[in-house]
Amino acid sequence: MTAGTAQTLVWDWTVRLFHWLIVLLIPLMWWTAEEGMMDWHRRLGLTLFALVLFRLVWGVMGTWTARFVPMIKRLGAVPGYVRDLFAGRHSPSFGHSPIGSLSVFALLAALSIQIGTGLFSVDVDGLESGPLAILISFKTGRDVADIHELNFDILVILIALHIAAIAVYQFVLKANLVRPMVTGRSSDVEPESTVTVRPVALLASVAIVAASLYAVMNAG
Amino acid sequence: MKTLRVKLVVPAVAAVMMLSACGDSGGSEAAPEASSEAASAQLPNGMTIKEQIEARQGQLEKVGDAFKAISDQLKASSPDIAIIQEAAAAVPEATQGMADWWPEGSGPESGVETDALPAIWENMADFQEKVGNMQEAAAALNTAAQGGDMAAIGEAFKNTGGTCKACHDDYRLDD
Repeated sequence: MTAGTAQTLVWDWTVRLFHWLIVLLIPLMWWTAEEGMMDWHRRLGLTLFALVLFRLVWGVMGTWTARFVPMIKRLGAVPGYVRDLFAGRHSPSFGHSPIGSLSVFALLAALSIQIGTGLFSVDVDGLESGPLAILISFKTGRDVADIHELNFDILVILIALHIAAIAVYQFVLKANLVRPMVTGRSSDVEPESTVTVRPVALLASVAIVAASLYAVMNAG
Repeated sequence: MKTLRVKLVVPAVAAVMMLSACGDSGGSEAAPEASSEAASAQLPNGMTIKEQIEARQGQLEKVGDAFKAISDQLKASSPDIAIIQEAAAAVPEATQGMADWWPEGSGPESGVETDALPAIWENMADFQEKVGNMQEAAAALNTAAQGGDMAAIGEAFKNTGGTCKACHDDYRLDD
């Protein structure tokens, strides 16, 4: 709770850019689907594929606060952390809090399922389909599309929980989690590691994403 | 009699399972699933309502297969015209007599799982017209496909797709 005077860098720019692009793209994906603008749904979907894949790779070779292993290690602290929150005690974490780690894993899993099923989905008329649907039958593509639709509801629920949690931190615990996601910096925590983007890691991640995107787009 | 048979079957099945170490119990006699009275009611064409609904779903799935096959080829960098021709020929064949597939009573009120909306039977004339439009467009698509002109095929495919959508928008449960 004690505010250090120095602003600590907690989120690197790729994590922040990823986060806000997702915020922008999810409503657009919903809207293009509702309006039947499937060309745009496919284009934006491929953009999301690239973004989420990047985030998954970045969780392995990215900066410390982006990495999954430290987040997994914090999962054991979830019960204690939640107990403290209910008692009104909030000790800010450098990076994802224990419960925040859980939330990120759930959101990334739901996003991955959504994008993965989208790649294979086929519409009821057999007219529109994802870029990898060529590999499966109409019937299987329809079943996948059912999961795509069901999982979207799950994704929306997780997003609602995420926003509600941010609101609780803001108004109950008086901790602003939005600003650090914009500026990357927080005065609530001491640095436990540097979160400087290493050009080599960034280049390698982008290369993996570009290769995967190329493979998906040329599967036909 | 029945108990005797079961008594013989059980050790036989057990022996087979021990030999094959496979969990599939081939000997059990499952009771036939109780279906609702409406679902098993006879239609004038001799089918039960359940059979009618499943038959039309099967036929429309064939149309879906054909459409996906054409759509896949149209998206491919080098479309295989033979696949398009085969699929385009399958659509008129699969939709023959389509006007008769929705007899009175074969809607959701039958208790059988169907996405057909009651609106079909409330607007039967419009529904029939849309079915006719689809069959006409599908015939034109087949002609275009056998002609082999990709631009004409693309155009005819879009038209036919539009006739599918026209019906699904009004008469099929939105999913």
